[in-house]
Amino acid sequence: MRFLLPLFIAGIFGLAAGGASALWAGGMLKSGPRMGNGVVIDGWTSDWSIGSTSANPYVRARIARNGLLALRKEEAVYFTRSRDEEGRRLDEACIYRISGGAMPSQWWSITLYDGDSRLPMNEDDALSFDANDAESQADPENWSFRISSEPNGQPGSLWVSSRSAGQFDVTLRLYLPSEALLADPGATLIPPRIERLFCEGEG
Amino acid sequence: MRWILAASVFLLMALVGHIAVLTAIPSLIMGKAHDRMEAQGAGMYRWVASPRMTPQTQTVVRPSPDLSYAICRFDLADGPVLLEAPLSEAYGSLSIFDDRTNNVFVASLQEGSAFNGVIVHAPGDVPDAGGRETLALGGRGLALIRRLSPDEASHGQAAELAAASVCAPFPAR
Repeated sequence: MRFLLPLFIAGIFGLAAGGASALWAGGMLKSGPRMGNGVVIDGWTSDWSIGSTSANPYVRARIARNGLLALRKEEAVYFTRSRDEEGRRLDEACIYRISGGAMPSQWWSITLYDGDSRLPMNEDDALSFDANDAESQADPENWSFRISSEPNGQPGSLWVSSRSAGQFDVTLRLYLPSEALLADPGATLIPPRIERLFCEGEG
Repeated sequence: MRWILAASVFLLMALVGHIAVLTAIPSLIMGKAHDRMEAQGAGMYRWVASPRMTPQTQTVVRPSPDLSYAICRFDLADGPVLLEAPLSEAYGSLSIFDDRTNNVFVASLQEGSAFNGVIVHAPGDVPDAGGRETLALGGRGLALIRRLSPDEASHGQAAELAAASVCAPFPAR
């Protein structure tokens, strides 16, 4: 019995450690490694394993947690960014200017998500900016909008609300992406810029 | 010797625990998604159109507020299922996911697509499909229609198209 007890305890701890490491590696915890067919363009990250049955078990677990029911890359690709162009975390306390040009897809949108990957719990009806909004601007190939926790006071100006988002990220969705983008994303996509204009508490 | 044996047991059980949890994650998450949808009124064998996606109505992570969604749940243990949806001018797609979250089928619902319905069946339970596409799948499945609808008017049109779509046992029982 004295011989078996340490083995039993080692087995229990082993199971627990193995299970915990799987939760971490599979993205069930807040942190964890990125694995899969990653694409990074100017700080915008994407995983083109999404929707694929060939994704390895770590990627499949991570996608099940963070991108359940996601589309294959031929239907849509998703790029996410959580920092401004100077590398600072995007935060509800700050105002940002997002700008860009033509996108290599049939239609596109940019949506803001809170730290739990959910639409922020506000009632501002300003969740995303899309290709139709860009078309409504004077130069659709040189569009811009603001992200802030309050409307910026200019009636009709285009904004996306970060109210109740805390630290957040933004996702660029490209629907029916061009073949050129799928073949060579780095050379094809010029992603939007995210400039921090002002933060609460700054002089 | 005893400590070497204990360390070996630890490593072996860690590997077993790691593989078991990692393998179970997608099925557990899909099972919870089915349960959540059922609790919210998404029954089996019928398209259920979601309300316009807002912070208050979101049911999955990272939903797109630009799209209208309609979901149909089915279980192939009950027999084959016919899925049909009208084509429209705007971007749209019909996707099917297995019980491990894999996207096993996608068809365009935009005008010009050749899609005219798909019959999903359990492996070995192949029905007479009458020229439609077929897909073999085990266990429970989930079909999802997405249609581009960035405003209230287009969302209403997508809801009408969802009502005109088919998700039903095949042949009709």
